[in-house]
Amino acid sequence: MSHTAQPSALKMGIPIPNSKLGMWLFLGTEIMFFTAFIGAYIVLRLGSPGWPGDPADTHINVLLGGINTFVLIVSSYCVVVAHEAMALRRFGRARTFLKVTLALAFVFLGIKSVEYYGKFAHDILPGHIPETPTQAIHKADRELEAVVRKRFAEYVSSGAVVTAQPNDIKTLATQIEAVADGGADGADKDAVESMKASVAGDIKLYRAYMNLHDHMVANISLKHPASGQEYTDARAAMKEGESFPPLTLAEVKTELNVLKADGEFGAAVSKGVFEPHPILFGNLFASTYFLMTGFHAIHVIVGMILFAAAIRQGSNLNEKWTDWVENSGLYWHFVDLVWIFLFPMLYIMNF
Amino acid sequence: MSHDTHDTHHVNYLSIFFVLCGCTALSVVFDVLPLSRLATIVLVFAVAVAKALCVMMFFMHLKFEGNWKYVLLAPTTILAIGLPLALMPDVGVPYYTSTAPQRGQWGEEFAAWHNEHQHAEGAAAHTELPGAPENAESSTEKAADH
Repeated sequence: MSHTAQPSALKMGIPIPNSKLGMWLFLGTEIMFFTAFIGAYIVLRLGSPGWPGDPADTHINVLLGGINTFVLIVSSYCVVVAHEAMALRRFGRARTFLKVTLALAFVFLGIKSVEYYGKFAHDILPGHIPETPTQAIHKADRELEAVVRKRFAEYVSSGAVVTAQPNDIKTLATQIEAVADGGADGADKDAVESMKASVAGDIKLYRAYMNLHDHMVANISLKHPASGQEYTDARAAMKEGESFPPLTLAEVKTELNVLKADGEFGAAVSKGVFEPHPILFGNLFASTYFLMTGFHAIHVIVGMILFAAAIRQGSNLNEKWTDWVENSGLYWHFVDLVWIFLFPMLYIMNF
Repeated sequence: MSHDTHDTHHVNYLSIFFVLCGCTALSVVFDVLPLSRLATIVLVFAVAVAKALCVMMFFMHLKFEGNWKYVLLAPTTILAIGLPLALMPDVGVPYYTSTAPQRGQWGEEFAAWHNEHQHAEGAAAHTELPGAPENAESSTEKAADH
């Protein structure tokens, strides 16, 4: 059987390398992938009666977004110059521009992480955001409870308090008060000694929390009693049809600021309780924001891996890598393309 | 047909780069200018589309590619646009009044909060909430539009 090369009468397929066809097919699926997120954002934003637009609410920074846009445009330009250099067999020049692109990708992710940090620092995360003043009060109450429980847990774990019900915060408070007087029988004496000093502060914090919690449950202003004999007396002294004024967010904020300034437990409260700040439809905003920018950032990382693979060739970078650089360039331009739409939607149209 | 696309087209990539930078600045200018909301959205999106076309045509070389580009990209683009269009009538522009619980509660609590804000205008504790009343008002307007 002879294997003489037959000149093909017809060149089948598309006149581009298979890898490039593959990349374009992949980019076709990517168009649908990102349009699903962007489309969901547009539809949900239009469909929501209200959307957080104030940078004081969202911690969106137009300047940082603008700088990142610029960074991506410069990097896109560098990729295209790198590809051109590959085609002209100027591999050293290509490598230099690929390195610049990779460095710019790091800059982009660095700025992105500064932005993300701003969101995390204010707990602007899906499902964490109170959307009304009442929800903000409830969230602060839950967070303060967690601080108290965390501090109480130290007494149990150290052995200063022995209890069968470590989650019963009220009983635990009575037992912790006893620690100041030498602790109950069976308690670890060394632990009692070491924990003694913090009892007064922790009990004070516990009472402040319970006071706030009672007012929240009864929805009574902090200026009036919400529990105990005082409450019963005040209630009895009221005329028919009269009621206590409701608890307000401003009162809770003032109270939290007092607790945060306390010398004994102020640091723990500051760390554990976020500034209560209701944002209408903030959760939907945070979900879509993180979905879009998060998937975009993942794409940036993948692009960096593609460039790193070419850069790793060092002086061995040759014409065999031309298609690789072209395809990763196409991918990178697509990443830039997505950002071109994300920037105006997330950073500019804030109203 | 099988010509080498690498060397045949000389695009001045630097000028495309400057066009892209200019467009980015332009979209910020449109945001700052006192235009109506609709005008801002249309202009900013028009700039974004222009930038996208620049990137696709010149950086991605689509201007110089064969007709396969339409075969490959037209169906995915149509399908991509189809999803938001399909969701728009019900979710995006609902025919019913929103009964989202947070919206109802906000309406009830908003007046109280607004009063509080007015009373404590000088208090430092309130200065971080300047946007709240405007937000709630604009959302009320939006609800009325629907």
